[in-house]
Amino acid sequence: MASSATVADSPAPPNPDNIQPFFVIHKAFSRKSKKKSPRAGKAKRKIDLSPLVSKNAKKADEESVEECDSMRMEYFGIVWSKIETTIKNVLRDMNINVFSDIHHWVRESFNTIRSSGPPSLTEATCSFPFVKDTTLKKLFTGLVLTKNMEFVDDLLTFEDLGLHLKSHGCHVANLSSLDFLAKNGIGGCLRSLLRQFLMVSLDAADISILASWYREHDKYNNPVVIIIDDMERCCGSILSDFILMLSEWAIKIPVILIMGISTMLDAPSNALTSNALQHLFPCKFILGTPAERMDAVVAAVLVGQPSTFSISHKVAAFMRNYFVSQDGTLTSFVRALKIACVQHFYVEPLSFVLRGFLLQEDCQCLYDAAKYGNIRLLDILCEALNPELYNSRGTDAQAESEKDSGRSPSNGCFMDRQYPSSRKDGFINKVVRIVKDLPRSQLYNLLKSWEERTADIIEIHEDVKELLFTLKSEEHKRQKQRSTSVSKRHISRAQLNMERDSQVTNEKAATLIDRMIRDYMHPLECVPFHEIICFKNVDKLQLALVGDPRRRIQVDLLESHKILQCNCCNRKGSTLLPSMHDTSIMYNLAQEHGDLINLLDWYQSFKSVVLCPGVKRKRKSKQKCKDMNEPQKQSEILNLVYNRARYCRAVTELQITGLLRMPSKRRPDFAQRVAFGL
Amino acid sequence: MDEIDDRDEEEFGFSRNYFLAKELGGSGKKSTNKLSDIGLVDEQELRAAMANSEPKHEKEVSALMESYKSLYPQWVFELRCGFALLMYGFGSKKALLEDFASIALTEYSVIVINGYLQSINIKQVVVAMAEVLWDQLKSSGKTTSASLGKVQQPFSSRSMDDLLSFLNGSRKHENDFDICLVIHNIDGPGLRDSETQQYLAQIASCSHIRIVASVDHVNAPLLWDKKMVHTQFNWYWNHVPTFAPYTVEGVFFPLILSHGSASQSAKTATIILQSLTPNAQSVFKILAEYLLSHPDEEGMPIDSLYSISRERFIVSSQVTLNSHLTEFKDHELVKTRRNSDGQDCLYIPLAIEALAKTISEISQ
Repeated sequence: MASSATVADSPAPPNPDNIQPFFVIHKAFSRKSKKKSPRAGKAKRKIDLSPLVSKNAKKADEESVEECDSMRMEYFGIVWSKIETTIKNVLRDMNINVFSDIHHWVRESFNTIRSSGPPSLTEATCSFPFVKDTTLKKLFTGLVLTKNMEFVDDLLTFEDLGLHLKSHGCHVANLSSLDFLAKNGIGGCLRSLLRQFLMVSLDAADISILASWYREHDKYNNPVVIIIDDMERCCGSILSDFILMLSEWAIKIPVILIMGISTMLDAPSNALTSNALQHLFPCKFILGTPAERMDAVVAAVLVGQPSTFSISHKVAAFMRNYFVSQDGTLTSFVRALKIACVQHFYVEPLSFVLRGFLLQEDCQCLYDAAKYGNIRLLDILCEALNPELYNSRGTDAQAESEKDSGRSPSNGCFMDRQYPSSRKDGFINKVVRIVKDLPRSQLYNLLKSWEERTADIIEIHEDVKELLFTLKSEEHKRQKQRSTSVSKRHISRAQLNMERDSQVTNEKAATLIDRMIRDYMHPLECVPFHEIICFKNVDKLQLALVGDPRRRIQVDLLESHKILQCNCCNRKGSTLLPSMHDTSIMYNLAQEHGDLINLLDWYQSFKSVVLCPGVKRKRKSKQKCKDMNEPQKQSEILNLVYNRARYCRAVTELQITGLLRMPSKRRPDFAQRVAFGL
Repeated sequence: MDEIDDRDEEEFGFSRNYFLAKELGGSGKKSTNKLSDIGLVDEQELRAAMANSEPKHEKEVSALMESYKSLYPQWVFELRCGFALLMYGFGSKKALLEDFASIALTEYSVIVINGYLQSINIKQVVVAMAEVLWDQLKSSGKTTSASLGKVQQPFSSRSMDDLLSFLNGSRKHENDFDICLVIHNIDGPGLRDSETQQYLAQIASCSHIRIVASVDHVNAPLLWDKKMVHTQFNWYWNHVPTFAPYTVEGVFFPLILSHGSASQSAKTATIILQSLTPNAQSVFKILAEYLLSHPDEEGMPIDSLYSISRERFIVSSQVTLNSHLTEFKDHELVKTRRNSDGQDCLYIPLAIEALAKTISEISQ
């Protein structure tokens, strides 16, 4: 199975597997327990509980572990696929309007192309491009502005767009920048096109194959749509050639191009040649911003549905700040959520048993109001989940203690700067203020949405209804007064009264939302047994999501004794002990050097650390060097080689970790440090 | 405000460290000690001493390895949830990954890539995976007639796209997988180029495959863009320092305290030569063959190089030859010196064995 490639010029390690580029460890054995349903597992366990069980105790244990594993897997599958589908649906729903606009435009463009009538049989089957009229060489191009530098978030969008158009009968191919690489030339994207349309891979890719494919099989009534998701990352010249080619064939293959653009609408003019640009007939479409999508996802997954899995305040804050200041992609946010879910189910496999109890409606009510002030749902959620803020509600005196509440030493960098330190300057309070100042019509809309959301909470629902009623009757009164009153003075006084009234209504609405928050919006972490459904371990999540090898590998080396947990290297202060790991000693020594390390100095200091207890003895032996007999000399030499070997190995290991750059020709005696500080 | 200060402090701390280090290096204290002062040792001798050296903390290291065994079930769970595992932390993780694979992944086929090697043919790996998967599907009776029809063509002659789409076939249980690909040092020299990483990312996103990989380089994350990290590899980072010696991984690094090894300079020369035109390579070969067959002479006279090159239709004029020679000289592949007759002649500043190795490598 393994390849025959060999590795030259080095002493071969004993194990042949080590020098093969690859090898098979084992092939799959029987899959005994994998697809076993939990119920079947349970039955088995019951049988095992018979008196014979003591004999088979170990076996039973193993089986129960297996049972637990498969249950965990099954329930994780259920919960996560639900969350995943929700997210996908939310994103699709967000884009659905743009998608149908695009579809409409595709059809219109197709009709325009077709307006000159389908080409005759000879025209369509001739092997060269056929264009009657130069004006028909235009290529209809949809420019989809993603408003997002991170194209990774839009991969799914363009996939969905493809599916949407396919479901409406279009022939769709999705290309990416990887199909437009300079080294593959135009053949690369053509091959990919043929692969997707004809389901074959051909070495000699030719556009005429596509033309004859289109002619066959009754495909004539539907357009061919080619979607390029990240136009700006494509090789400009290849894309230009591609466009020129498509425009040549425009009549025979009615191609409609859709290109994703993340920065500016004039991006094509920067990337493409003017010749290719002339052939484009662009039309622009705009997708939602990342922040809007984020809010929709948060609303659907963390707030909207009663979930069997939830996250604590700190985890929410971490994820939010990772989104805002680190990665900025919705994809990574969803990934973080999945990792949290995996970790939670590993520890609490039974969390599926409980139905979620959340702050849903209230948070939604808040968000309805927050929309008027451009406040993000994620911010509100973070605050709503904060148990400490909750406990301090009403008394803002504890503000001080809040300041360090969200900060632990390891995740400090992800904790937020503008996070409110007390409720007074918090997002929720801002929302309440927004409600107070809301104009009449908007207040009416807000109350309407509250009415829907609070249908389950009777007392609040009644209050909302009452408020709505007051608002309506005020409006009624106002209209009446407007029609009846004559004198100017009267009008102005009436207006004053009205304003005062509406102020009162706003106040009432604000009081209502305040009450909802106080009475109903309990952070999950204040609910007993919340641990079962609430994932809290933010450090573990961060470790799995971000990794941070640069820092961690250095810490491994600088504090090796902590990881190895040995008794011998418990150093006090900064003294290095000879028993420590060689590479660890070397890296600690390297900290004392500048960006360049003199290799000989480094070696000497390494030697002095390693030989620490025997320094005196060594000096003595140097003095008596002449008197040494042959075996002594021999062992001295051996020692020397041994120390050098250890030094060399440590240098090599530091090189493998990338913490050290090897000496250059210009500076043969100096190695270069790469990392400064953790 | 405190938090802002702390964070800024951290950032400033970082740059301060850097500039302090720069200053330390640039100040008058710079040491002038030379490695050559202590007399270098033979590489073989050093390697032998390394192999015989008594490892420190053997007990603690094996206890550490043992402690990771308790994490195996969790790792399997992570794999089955659709993540790829990325192991990092100081120490060789080769033994750990292989132990994990042979104990916890018995239900799956496991293929190992030794990424620390100098060159790896990723296509061969994909072919091997496809063959294993084919055997597996055949034995479990999961093959469909459609895929049966295709298999008439052997995997080794199929295109990469075909192979990848075979590995990405539909599965009954969406979350599960069939083959686990263990990659030692996914950041290693044989896998480091972006094309290979793109292929690995595509492999990682195949439905039948999961990846367990290790990284050792602190800058390893720079190998991947966000598309690869989030949608293809889907890494789940695991910090598992082992403090095990990098025995096999370190074999390919030159030793600092040994005589300049032939392999390294030969390697540099090969890389440079490979980037030159075939004609330039041929000129170099003529020169090298002459030098190898006349080891006692000072070098090859320029006019004899010209006449031989012309005979073989490699250069058409002295000007062309000179342009090749200039290129060689710029890269320090070729130098000139006078021979005993006072004639200028060319030589290659490489040891005989290094030169032979270089020639054999560019002739491949």
